[in-house]
Amino acid sequence: MAKKKQHTPKPGSGVTRRGFLGSVGAGAAAVATGVTSRSEAVPEITDPEEMVQTALKINGRLHRLLVEPRWTLLFVLRERLGITGTKAACERGECGSCTVLIDDRPRYACLTLALEAEGSEITTIEGLLEGEELGEVQQAFVEHDAFQCGYCTPGQIVAAEGLLRTNPAPTENEILHGMSGNLCRCGAYQHIVNAVTHAGENRKDGGGS
Amino acid sequence: MSDEHAYHIDGAVPETPENDPDSGAWRKTVVVGTRQPKIDAYERVSGTAVYPHDVSLPDMLHGAILRCPHAHARILSIDTTEAEKMPGVEAVITSKSPGADIPWYERGGQFYGKLFDDHCRHEGEEVAAVAAETPLQAVDAIRAIKVEYEVLPFVVDDDKALLPDAPAVQEGGNMMGEPSVRERGDLAAGFAAADVIVESTYSTSCQIHAPLEPHGSVAKWDGNKLTVWDTTQGVFGVQQTMAKVFGLPISSVRVIGHYMGGGFGAKLETGKYTVMAAIMSRMAARPVKLFLPREDCFTVTGNRPGNTMTVKIGAKSDGTLTAIDYHSHGSAGAYRYGAGTSAQAAYLYTCPNMRTEDVSVYTHTGKARPMRAPGFPQCSWSLEQTMDELAAKLGMDPVEFRLQNLLTELQRGDGMPFTSNQLAACLTEGAKAFGWEEAKKAEKQQGHLRRGVGAAASFWAYPGGPPSTVVVKLFADGSANLNMGASDIGTGTKTWAAMIVAEELGVPVEKILVEHADTATTQYATASGGSKTVPSDSPAVRAAAMDVKQQLLGFAAEQLETTPGDLKLENLEIVSRTDPEKNLALGEVERLNRRGLLMGTGYRDPNPEDKVTFPFAAQFCEVEVNTRTGEIRILRFLGAHDSGRVLNRLTFDNQVFGGMAMGIGLGVTEERVLDRSQTGKMVNANFHDYKIPTILDVADTHVCHPIDQPDNEFNNTGTKGLGEPATIPTAAAIGNAVADALGTHAVNAPLTPEKILEVLRTQEMEA
Amino acid sequence: MLPKFSHVRPDSLRKALSFLDENEARIHGGGTDLIGCLRDRIFTTETVVSLSAINELRGIEPTADGGLRLGATATIAEIAENPTVVAGYGALADAAGVVASPQLRNQGTIAGNLCQKPRCWYYRGDFNCLRKGGEICYAYEGENQQHCIFGGDTCFIVHPSDTAPALAAHGAVCRVSSPSASRSVAVEALHVPPSVDPRRETVLEDDEIITEILIPKPPAGLRASYRKVRDRASWDFALAGVALALVFDGDTVASARVFLSGAAPVPWRAVGVEKAIIGTELDNATIDAAALATVDGAEPLAKNGYKIELFKGLMTEQLEAIRS
Repeated sequence: MAKKKQHTPKPGSGVTRRGFLGSVGAGAAAVATGVTSRSEAVPEITDPEEMVQTALKINGRLHRLLVEPRWTLLFVLRERLGITGTKAACERGECGSCTVLIDDRPRYACLTLALEAEGSEITTIEGLLEGEELGEVQQAFVEHDAFQCGYCTPGQIVAAEGLLRTNPAPTENEILHGMSGNLCRCGAYQHIVNAVTHAGENRKDGGGS
Repeated sequence: MSDEHAYHIDGAVPETPENDPDSGAWRKTVVVGTRQPKIDAYERVSGTAVYPHDVSLPDMLHGAILRCPHAHARILSIDTTEAEKMPGVEAVITSKSPGADIPWYERGGQFYGKLFDDHCRHEGEEVAAVAAETPLQAVDAIRAIKVEYEVLPFVVDDDKALLPDAPAVQEGGNMMGEPSVRERGDLAAGFAAADVIVESTYSTSCQIHAPLEPHGSVAKWDGNKLTVWDTTQGVFGVQQTMAKVFGLPISSVRVIGHYMGGGFGAKLETGKYTVMAAIMSRMAARPVKLFLPREDCFTVTGNRPGNTMTVKIGAKSDGTLTAIDYHSHGSAGAYRYGAGTSAQAAYLYTCPNMRTEDVSVYTHTGKARPMRAPGFPQCSWSLEQTMDELAAKLGMDPVEFRLQNLLTELQRGDGMPFTSNQLAACLTEGAKAFGWEEAKKAEKQQGHLRRGVGAAASFWAYPGGPPSTVVVKLFADGSANLNMGASDIGTGTKTWAAMIVAEELGVPVEKILVEHADTATTQYATASGGSKTVPSDSPAVRAAAMDVKQQLLGFAAEQLETTPGDLKLENLEIVSRTDPEKNLALGEVERLNRRGLLMGTGYRDPNPEDKVTFPFAAQFCEVEVNTRTGEIRILRFLGAHDSGRVLNRLTFDNQVFGGMAMGIGLGVTEERVLDRSQTGKMVNANFHDYKIPTILDVADTHVCHPIDQPDNEFNNTGTKGLGEPATIPTAAAIGNAVADALGTHAVNAPLTPEKILEVLRTQEMEA
Repeated sequence: MLPKFSHVRPDSLRKALSFLDENEARIHGGGTDLIGCLRDRIFTTETVVSLSAINELRGIEPTADGGLRLGATATIAEIAENPTVVAGYGALADAAGVVASPQLRNQGTIAGNLCQKPRCWYYRGDFNCLRKGGEICYAYEGENQQHCIFGGDTCFIVHPSDTAPALAAHGAVCRVSSPSASRSVAVEALHVPPSVDPRRETVLEDDEIITEILIPKPPAGLRASYRKVRDRASWDFALAGVALALVFDGDTVASARVFLSGAAPVPWRAVGVEKAIIGTELDNATIDAAALATVDGAEPLAKNGYKIELFKGLMTEQLEAIRS
């Protein structure tokens, strides 16, 4: 092990972290594998010092951007794209505030490298809105007062949405287990159960999307 | 009560003018008391609410703090050379930096520490800070700072801190002042007169606030004006501190805290990080955002001290209490802040002879901060379980035993009456709603599972009061703005405030926009903490709305050529009481139309003299204990609460359930674990190892049973606080339920499988 | 905040192996454990080699001999929900259902769960412990309430996986590939006890990847279960866990494989329990004897003595449950 890797500068990329930040100089060129073809092409090792081109499909919109390999999806959402509905609370996969849907499944954006989300449908809390209208789970959270400070709430709602997409008619026990990956320090759990139950009933009755 | 009110921020506040005396109690309400979803719910569920952690300013830098990794150490040298040269780094500060050598940890006008102290007294003390282009660069840079420490002996155990050879945390020994003592009657005579005496020692573990939004701030300078976005429970306290630190007029500091992701007391005081962000922002002449990583939130942003409490109670065989002796010991960390718990032991029950003693010691651990009813849940844990032990010895029902001995006045001096006291109703109505009698009779054993029920009573001793100033602005189209300084920390402050305006003026709740928690644009309010926001600010909201109404009726009276007293405001229409023909729609009031809006101001009147106001509560729960594995399942919880009038039943319920969740944490799952014998460092500074209850850990069902009796003697809305009362008796009720199931009290919280198995094993050995 | 690394996401096993061969690399399955370790600076790495785009490592399907193949990157949730798993492999289904949290089950992979790093708070925390290259195991004299009662030797972690004892009970085997060869390793033999090497968790070489896990056909009469006891009802590792795979002939236990979690630095085979119950009808006396056998030879530390009672109680409960 510990053999030194070799980097081959790729023509036509030439974007570096320093360049991206608008500072002086242009360092070694970065790898620019095709965005949509990443998984088919011969893969390249990215350089930790360089920015890599990627494309993330977030709430139906494709964002082309440059990332460091170490950037998490959460970091990209909040710090690069300004999509701040997804909250950062522990950034170590232990609280659920950053829950997003990746291909309809709830996951922690803080434990997901941005490069790993490429090619997937990413849905954040903003993606559950229909225009300016609240989605049904959001509406149920309003009606049942299923939050207090609201900081864990986007994660709770996205987790509930993911649960209902997999299981449109969950039992109370399934709701409890499905929502057990999201901490709420204000302790709005009873109202969260009420809200998710209600949203589930709505969906079952064809009241929602 | 404690001489130092935990929720009092930054010294004296100005007296406020009196309101119009014509502010009788509501007799009937149409909005107040209903179930109203929060008026800012859209923002909070859609992701559009901008919390301080979401703030991003043009040209903003990101900060990070380097912290001492040792429980006790002296910094010998700091070398920031390499960090300063790293890409993106724009500012590096240490104790040697200009403006950074300032005192910190103020208590009663005195300082007990420094912003950066070369003598690090607990893990996580601040050593240096960096601001860089990106958060990652800032973290990379603090890791490149070289610090040489002399690691010193430490003490993190409360009970070892007073041993003769214990390392000193502060000069003058590890006892934090003299023990705080309360006494009444003749204790020895009281015990001599007792037929039955119980003495037990209970302990709680150190609990961490752990709000989901990390602590942090964004600071921005415009010349000599400073703007701070802070996740805080009180913007005005932060404003005052920042003005003091930077020698600025208070008016030049603007603090904004529109949304904040939880505090529970941890965000009452101004953070060092806020000052550091501002120092670095001025240095770099760019805005700086500095939020703490979660691990740091566990070590340096406060906690509820763990306490060891010995309770001795004597009673006559008829159940009359004769004496209470209570001793509490705990550590509030390395800097001055009390770890007292005893108030309920002194006053919850009528007892002629009483002594309480609180000992607070210094240890090499992070400083405590007020946490949701500081000291009270710990006291409940010991006092209420000891009361159950005594009831068992007396052969009495625990609820009956409590009812027989409940406080009827505050037994201080010659005794002080309460403005309202529904504690007996909390116990009796709560027991009835819970099905206490039936549950006590039910079969406990189901295979290796055993069920038990428990109850606990409590009060909270901080009523709230002046000052509070609120402005209501009514527009001619029948919509309104409400302007108040209080932070809405998740309790629904904005919503009940809008409901009160709606009640008084008839403006629909959805047509009321609340401006709040911004020192530049809203009215002075004290921090939201101590369950005092409702009782302190709701009367001012009502007074402001009534001021608007009076002015409006005055205008209308001129126009209708009658007296204001003849007019009433109903559904945004002004109608004469004597001649229904005389009426005006709001839009027809000429002077209102000319002005564009009508502004009313309301103030919080002083609390009544010679009386005291406490919220009261009793909670009941049923648990199931697995005697093979020591697991506890909480089947149900009921909270019966006397918090005066219920303003919003929906958020009231939520608050009660939330308090229970935090109490379940204290009682069953949460515990700060320190590496006591080797390093003194916290080993579980993360959400995985520090176990906040999940949705599966709280009760299967929760019921809220408000007593809902307005306390009209206390203030013009009849309200008392709720946030703290909701969590005070919770852990104790669980403790009593577990004891009911097992026949023995498990004395050391949290009741993990380990503790339950310990009880069962002891029982087995004794059998 | 994560340290810097490079990243590659090949689309075939062959390519993935070539990156392992050439680089100081760490494998990224679902990333749940890797990202956490990198954040805590337990180790750093030059390169993260992601397996997430490799189709051949995915999936759950029956094998020709009636068993089941779990692709290495099958997620824990996929396994917990798989009808064949639920119907035929009770211990695995139970275990997969209680791993971490729903989100982590959606992301974490089965091979990653087997290969995860210890959750010991000294190992994960800011302590230079023996396993991380330091001099001592801090748990030995420190806060060892969650630590092992068997097999500690020099490092007193417990193995954190729920699926490992379950798969071991089911007799599962890992297929492992390196750039030059392939081999099979029984799940039971996958983990390295501290007495052999306190600084590694598995027998895998740095250039080896688990490609799939094969579970034999469930024998007729198999009853299998897994349960763990924890301090918190979700998102918590086992204080004690019991995986049972008992084959009944009528009411008689014909054969048994019993593994413990939360007991030892590796999934711990409770041979004494197996001996005590094979050939019996799990009468009460047998269960009492099995409970005692569970902790036979245990060497608790200063703060984890309760695990003795806990394991006895849990074994009793689980044997009673599987009997009925």
